[in-house]
Amino acid sequence: MKKLLVLVLVVLMMFGAVAAADTIKIGMLEDLSGDFSLCGTYKSHAMELAIKEINEAGGLLGKQLELIAPDCQSDNQRYQEMARKLILEDEVDVIMGGFSSASREAIRPIMDEYGMLYFYNNQYEGGVADHYTFCTGAVPEHQVMPLMEYMIKEYGPKVYTIAADYNFGQLTAQWVKKATQEFGGEIVGEEFLPLSVSQFSSSIEKIQQADPDVLVVLLTGVTQSSFYGQWFAANSKNIPIATTINIAQGYEHLRFDPPACANMYVTAQFVEELDTPAAKDFVARYRALYPNDPYVGMEAAAQYTGMMLYAEAVRKAGTTEVEAVIDALESGVSYDGPAGLVTIYGPTHHAIMDIWIVYSDANHQISFKTKYEQIVPDWIEKEKGCDLTVEAPNIQFTPDN
Amino acid sequence: MFSYLYQFLDSFSFLVLAVSGLSIIFGMMGIINLAHGEFIMLGAYAMTIMAKASVPLPLAIILAALLVGLFGFVVDKLVVCRLYDRPVDSVVATWGISLLLRQGILILLGPSLPGLTTPMGTFMVGGTSYSIYRMVLALIAVVLLVLMYWLFMHTRFGLHSRATMQNSATAQAMGVNTAQMYSLTFTIGSALAGLCGALYGPTMTITPTMGQAFQNDSFVTVIVGGANPLIGTALSGTVLGVIQSVLNITMGTFFGKMGLLIVAIIVIRVLPKGFSGLVESYMMKRKNR
Amino acid sequence: MMNKLKKWITTENIVAVALFGYLFTYPMMNSAYRTMNMANFLASIILALSLALVWGYTGIFSYAQAAFYGIGGYTYAILCKNFAGPTLTPAFLLAAMAVGFLAAMILSFFMFYGGINDVFVALITMCVTLVLETFLQQTAGPQWKIGKAALGGFNGINSITKLTFGSTVMRDKNLYIFALVLLTIIYLGFRYMERSKLGYTLISIRENRERSELFGYNVAFIQMMIFSVAGAMAALAGVIYTTWGGYIVPTAVGMTQATIPVVLVAAGGKKNSTAVILFSLFYLTLSQRLAASGTQYSLIILGAILLLVVLFVPKGIIHSLFEILDEKVVNPLLNRSEKKGGCK
Repeated sequence: MKKLLVLVLVVLMMFGAVAAADTIKIGMLEDLSGDFSLCGTYKSHAMELAIKEINEAGGLLGKQLELIAPDCQSDNQRYQEMARKLILEDEVDVIMGGFSSASREAIRPIMDEYGMLYFYNNQYEGGVADHYTFCTGAVPEHQVMPLMEYMIKEYGPKVYTIAADYNFGQLTAQWVKKATQEFGGEIVGEEFLPLSVSQFSSSIEKIQQADPDVLVVLLTGVTQSSFYGQWFAANSKNIPIATTINIAQGYEHLRFDPPACANMYVTAQFVEELDTPAAKDFVARYRALYPNDPYVGMEAAAQYTGMMLYAEAVRKAGTTEVEAVIDALESGVSYDGPAGLVTIYGPTHHAIMDIWIVYSDANHQISFKTKYEQIVPDWIEKEKGCDLTVEAPNIQFTPDN
Repeated sequence: MFSYLYQFLDSFSFLVLAVSGLSIIFGMMGIINLAHGEFIMLGAYAMTIMAKASVPLPLAIILAALLVGLFGFVVDKLVVCRLYDRPVDSVVATWGISLLLRQGILILLGPSLPGLTTPMGTFMVGGTSYSIYRMVLALIAVVLLVLMYWLFMHTRFGLHSRATMQNSATAQAMGVNTAQMYSLTFTIGSALAGLCGALYGPTMTITPTMGQAFQNDSFVTVIVGGANPLIGTALSGTVLGVIQSVLNITMGTFFGKMGLLIVAIIVIRVLPKGFSGLVESYMMKRKNR
Repeated sequence: MMNKLKKWITTENIVAVALFGYLFTYPMMNSAYRTMNMANFLASIILALSLALVWGYTGIFSYAQAAFYGIGGYTYAILCKNFAGPTLTPAFLLAAMAVGFLAAMILSFFMFYGGINDVFVALITMCVTLVLETFLQQTAGPQWKIGKAALGGFNGINSITKLTFGSTVMRDKNLYIFALVLLTIIYLGFRYMERSKLGYTLISIRENRERSELFGYNVAFIQMMIFSVAGAMAALAGVIYTTWGGYIVPTAVGMTQATIPVVLVAAGGKKNSTAVILFSLFYLTLSQRLAASGTQYSLIILGAILLLVVLFVPKGIIHSLFEILDEKVVNPLLNRSEKKGGCK
C-alpha cells in the first residue's frame, strides 16, 4: 500500500516536472509579514486570483502560469535577495509587486542590471522613468491634481499639509504645493513628521492656529495612524481632510472607530465599495476565494489589472521575450476591469485610468463625489521632456529636479 | 502662552509615565529591560480588549496595569532572576523577550486592533481647542511621582530598597532579603509599564510595534535621569519636557525628537551618572561641610 | 614537532579548516546566484566579527556596529555619486573605512574617557544608532545633498558604482572571492591575536578593568583603539553590502540591522570567532529559507534562540559544542589530558 502511494507520488511529481517546464513563470515580491503586510496580503491574493482566472481560461500562449511568491517581510534587503533569486534561480518571465517606494527603488537597479521586466502595481509619488519598469498604480497626476482642484473649489484656498518625512510624503507634498498654486490656493502651513512620531499635540495645535480650509494628510505607517484619534480628541472644528492613501489603501475607515476618518476625501481608481458592475463582480470573485480578508483595497485592483495588462501584452507580442513584451506594452495595451478601462501610456510607462473622489462621513459611510475620466499621466513627457519609447534615463524624476 | 504650558505638560507626562517602570528597575537592579516597550504594548492591548468588553475605562486601566505586573512577576521568575549578576546578558535576554512578544502578538492578534476613541472631549483657550484627557494624564504623572516619593521615603519597602540600591551586600547582611526585593521591584516596574500603555491606549493605534515609540524616549530619559528612580525621573522629565516642547513648537517635531537624543549623548559625557548623580554629589558636599 | 601538531588539533581548528575549505570551493560547486547570495552573507559575518572583537574579546557591548556599517556604506555611496567612474572606488573603500574608524573613535573617546562602561555603553550606542537612523530617514527633502549626492531619505541611495580594481569589477564570483579573502585575513588576525600579548591584555580588560588599570594598562586608550578598529571593520562590511546591492538605505543602519550581529555573536559564542562564523552561516541560510517559504515565525525563532542561549548556554551554542567535543572526543583520541580552562 505504502509502495503504491510512493509510486503514485513519483508519477505525479514527474507530471509536475513536465508541466513546470512548460509554464510561464510570474515572480511576485510582496510583504506577508512586518509593517506593510496590511496591503501585502490583499495584493498577493489579488494576484493569485488573476493567475487562477487566466489559467482557467486556458492560460497564456497555450501555457499555464506559475506563481513564485516569497515573503519579503517589509525588509528592503530581503527584496533585493528575493529579486535576485527570482531572476537567477527561478528564471521568471516577469516580476510584479513591491509596496513601499523604498522597496521599489531597492530592486529597480537589479531589474535594469539583468534586463528583467518589472510591474510596480501600486499607488506612489510618481516620476519613475525606466525602460524595464511599468507603473500601473495611481500617481500624483491621478490623485493630487484632481483632489486639490476639487477641495479648493469646494472649501476654499487655504491649504495645510502634514506629511510623513520620507520620500513619499516629501514628493507628494511638492505635488500638493504645485497643484495648490495651479488652482489658485495658497499653502498656509507644511510640516514633515518622522515616521516614528506617535504624539501629535504640537502639530495639531499648529494646524488649528493656521486655520486652513483644507488639511492635506500624507501620513503613513501604523505609528503615524495615531494622528486621527488625537486629531478628533483635540480639535473641535470640522476641517475637511484630503489624502491620497487612507481608506482606499489602508482601510482606516474599517480599522478605526468613527469619527477617525470623518469628513475625509481620497482619490482612488478603486475601493471595495465602488458601485460599478465590473468592480462589484471583481469583489465577488475575490470574496469567493478569500472570504475572510478584511478589505479589498485599491492596490488589489492595481495588482490584478497589472497582471491582466501583462497577459494582454504577451498575447499581442506572441512571446514572453522581454523586449518584445515591452514593445507591445508601449504600443498601448488596455484592460477593462475592476477599475474601468486602464491603458498603458507608452511614453511614460504609466497607466491611463479613471479616478473617483471618495468621501467618508462621520459614520465612515463611503460615497462618491465626482469621477475624473481617463487621466493621462504624461507629466514626465510634458515637463521633463522624457519619452521612454525613444530613450530611457532609468531614474526617478521629482517635481523640483 | 498657555500653548507652551500645555505642550510642556504633554511632553512631561509622556516621558514620566513612559520611564517610571524602566527607571525603577534600572535604579534598583542595574538591569535595562529592553522589553519595556513591549510591556507597555501589553498594557495597551489588555486595556483595549477589556474596554471593548465594556469594562469601564478606569477599571480597565487599573486591571491592565495589574495584569502586566503579574506578567512581569512571571518573567522575573522564569528569566530575569537568573541574570541578576549578569546585567549585560540581561539586556540580550530581555531583547529576546521583546522579539517574542512583538511577533507573538502580531501572529495572535494581527497587525492592529481597532482602537478606542479618546474620552472626555476638549476645552478651549484663546480660540484653540485642547484635549482634556491629555491634561488628566499630566495630573496622573504628577500623582505618580508623589506616590513614588511616599513609597521610597516613608515605607519599609522604600527603606529596604534604598539600602539595596546603595549597597546590596551590606543590606543583605543586615537582614534585607535582596532577592525578594528584586523580584518585587521587577513586578512593580512592569506594572508601571502596563499602566503607561493602558493610559495612552485610548490615544493611539494599537499595534504590536507601538511600544517602540515609548521605549526610545524612555531610554533617553533614564540616561539623562540616572540611577535614582525618583530624583532622576522627576528632573529629567522636567528638563527634557521643556526642551522637547520648545523645540516642537518653534522648530517642528523632527527637531524635538533629535533634540532629546542629542541631549542624552551630551549629558552622558558631562554627567555620566545623570541628574541623580549630580544631586547626590551636591547633597554629599552639603553634608560634609 | 609531533607534540606541537598534537596540541594544534582541537575541534575548533578542525572545523575552521573544513569551514574555509568549504567556503573557498563554494563558487566552483554552486551557481552564480548562490555565490552572489553567499557574498552578502560574508558581509554580515564580517559585521558580526566586528562585534565579537569589541564584545567577546574586550567586553564592550555595542549596538553601534550597524551604525558604522551604515556610515561605511553611505560614505562609499556619497563618494561614488560625486566622482563618476569606477577607477577611484578602491580609494573610496579606504575612505569609508577611515570614516568608520574616526566615527567610532570620536564616540569611544566620549564614552571611555568619560568613564562609561557596561550597560551605559549599550544605551549610548543604541542612542547613536537611533539618531543616525532617524536623521537619515528624514533626508528625503531636496535640501539634503552632499555635493552631487542626494541622501534620499527612507529610499536611500541607489545605482551605486560597484567596487572595481583596475578592470576587474567586483560582482558575482569576484565580489565573493574579495569578501572571502578579507574575511580570511580578519579571521587569521583574530586567531593570531588570541595568542598574542594584545589578546591577553584584552581579556584582562574584559575580566577586570580596575585590576588591568592598576597593572599599568591604559584601559581607556586600548578600549578606544579596539572600538575604532571594529568601527572600520563594520564600515568595510557596509561597503561590501553596498557594492553587492548597488544600494544603501537607512534601515541598513537601524535597530533591526543592529539586532542581527548581536544574535549571531551571542548565540554562536562571543569569545570564539570560529563559532561566530559557523553559526552566522547556519543562521543566515535558515532565515533566508524561512523568508523564501513565506513564514512569519522567523522573528519568533530568533527571539527564542536569544533567550534560551543566554539562559542555558551563556558561552554560545557552537562554542559550547567545541568544548564538549574537545573533552569527549578529541582529547581521549589523542591521549591528551587537557587541563580545563586555559586562557579563554
